[in-house]
Amino acid sequence: MSLFLQTIICGILLGAMYALIAIGMTLIMGVMKIINLAHGALVMVGMYITYFCFKEWGIDPYLGMFISMPALFLIGCLIQKYLINRLVEVDSILPENQVLLTVGIMLVLTETMRLIFKSDYRSVVTSYSTKTFFLGDISISIPMTFGFLIAMILTWLLHLFLTRTDLGRSIRATAQDRDAAIYMGVNASRITVITFGIGSALAAAGGSLLLPLFYLWPDIGHLFTAKAFIITILGGMGSTMGAILGGLTLGIAESLGATYISMGYKDVVGLIIFLLVLLFLPGGFRSFTRR
Amino acid sequence: MLKVDNVSVSYGDMQVLWDVTFEVMEGELVALLGANGAGKTTILNTISGLLRPHSGNIYFLGKEITRIPAHRVAELGIAHVPEGRRLFPEMSVKENLEMGSLLPEAKKKRKETMEWVFSLFPILKEKQNQEAGTLSGGQQQMLAIGRGLMALPKLLMLDEPSLGLAPVLVNQVFEIVKEINRRGITVLLVEQNIMHALKMCTRAYVLENGRVTLHGIGTELLNNQHVKEAYLGI
Ligand SMILES: Nc1ncnc2c1ncn2[C@@H]1O[C@H](COP(=O)(O)OP(=O)(O)OP(=O)(O)O)[C@@H](O)[C@H]1O
Ligand SMILES: [Mg+2]
Repeated sequence: MSLFLQTIICGILLGAMYALIAIGMTLIMGVMKIINLAHGALVMVGMYITYFCFKEWGIDPYLGMFISMPALFLIGCLIQKYLINRLVEVDSILPENQVLLTVGIMLVLTETMRLIFKSDYRSVVTSYSTKTFFLGDISISIPMTFGFLIAMILTWLLHLFLTRTDLGRSIRATAQDRDAAIYMGVNASRITVITFGIGSALAAAGGSLLLPLFYLWPDIGHLFTAKAFIITILGGMGSTMGAILGGLTLGIAESLGATYISMGYKDVVGLIIFLLVLLFLPGGFRSFTRR
Repeated sequence: MLKVDNVSVSYGDMQVLWDVTFEVMEGELVALLGANGAGKTTILNTISGLLRPHSGNIYFLGKEITRIPAHRVAELGIAHVPEGRRLFPEMSVKENLEMGSLLPEAKKKRKETMEWVFSLFPILKEKQNQEAGTLSGGQQQMLAIGRGLMALPKLLMLDEPSLGLAPVLVNQVFEIVKEINRRGITVLLVEQNIMHALKMCTRAYVLENGRVTLHGIGTELLNNQHVKEAYLGI
């Protein structure tokens, strides 16, 4: 029983960090109406920046994320402004082809990191990396608990931003009806730039929080793109709440798979859930609330 | 106040507006009338900057605005209540109204303006925390008008506000439009409900197949033979 509880708790902790990454993807998808296949690569770049700060300057990853987040915000803004929006301006290019551009961006980011850091597996080992604390007879990892708490705080701050500020509301409005937002005086193309920046910063945040738990190498981005994609489908595309639920579900599923099947199969469990949802619940969790 | 001068607009290769010229003076309630597909919405979207004319110019308060970016049009004091309402369906009524008052001037007076809008449409106050997508058609139209008013516009452009509403509501919406105009807001009203619109407007223009074919004082057009035959069925 306590193994089961421990597995579930571990899944929830992990899931909140995944959710952060997926919320970033959802936000971008909401405003741009495209799947950002470079999202995992942005996570990966964020992880490398945090890793670099740790390796070179001894900055703790939980502080380093506050360097990688603004850095990725900037990179995200530049990508949207100078690459994606350039393509959007050309009427004859269909949105499906904008997705191809994100694949190109993914490749460039991945290979650039390979050039700088080689393909070596890297990891961050801190004094608390393997520390745990006990809740009754359940042992809980400290870095995962930290990651969970920071992920929840960031999610909550994002929620406040999206619902309480004019800029945040303008992002939601642009996602719901772009032309109507323009009628209100919203500079929609500026909103896409800011949104891509925020989405990228969230990717960096999630990546940095997961850094103590994962080996880092340039191709790890694919793993996170897949996870974010699965979560987004689970959550019913474009909903923040859905992304949180989807993230938790994926985290728990992976955790159960790792405990009861085998560590090596944990990603397979996620994919199986993904297939089941596509087959039986194509609208994701939203199918339950909206009809 | 607003001058549309010889404007021609195309969608790709298909031209839908041909040398459209009309004018709205300060304080007027001008109606722009025409059948389905005449090009009324196209004109409003051209004024709003979403479409670009391939010839002709648009002036507002003496300044040429033909080629300014769409999101800057609202700054000039033009509010557009679009066809089909175009609310933000997953935002609350209150948030929709807040979205109407993003610009600095309007934002400063957001609270007072919202009280005014609530006094015009008490039902919106009641439902202020409900998602806009859950409102009935009439309530959505009121919210769309309210959202337009939140900008404290100099010119309010309404695209078929009576579309799809029950007759009682149609009367109510037109009463509100008159009231808004009485408060000093200039109104450009696009309508297919020709009888109603002609009765309440200062002047009217009739658009047929992308061309202005008639214009004049509302009550005069009511007696125009062509208008009677083509639009009023008498
Ligand atoms: N996005 C578009 N692409 C191509 N053609 C369009 C587009 N929008 C409108 N049209 C065409 O332009 C013409 C004018 O359309 P518009 O919507 O301006 O008419 P309208 O007077 O507003 O009609 P309604 O009363 O039905 O709203 C129509 O023939 C329509 O088919
Ligand atoms: Mg129309």
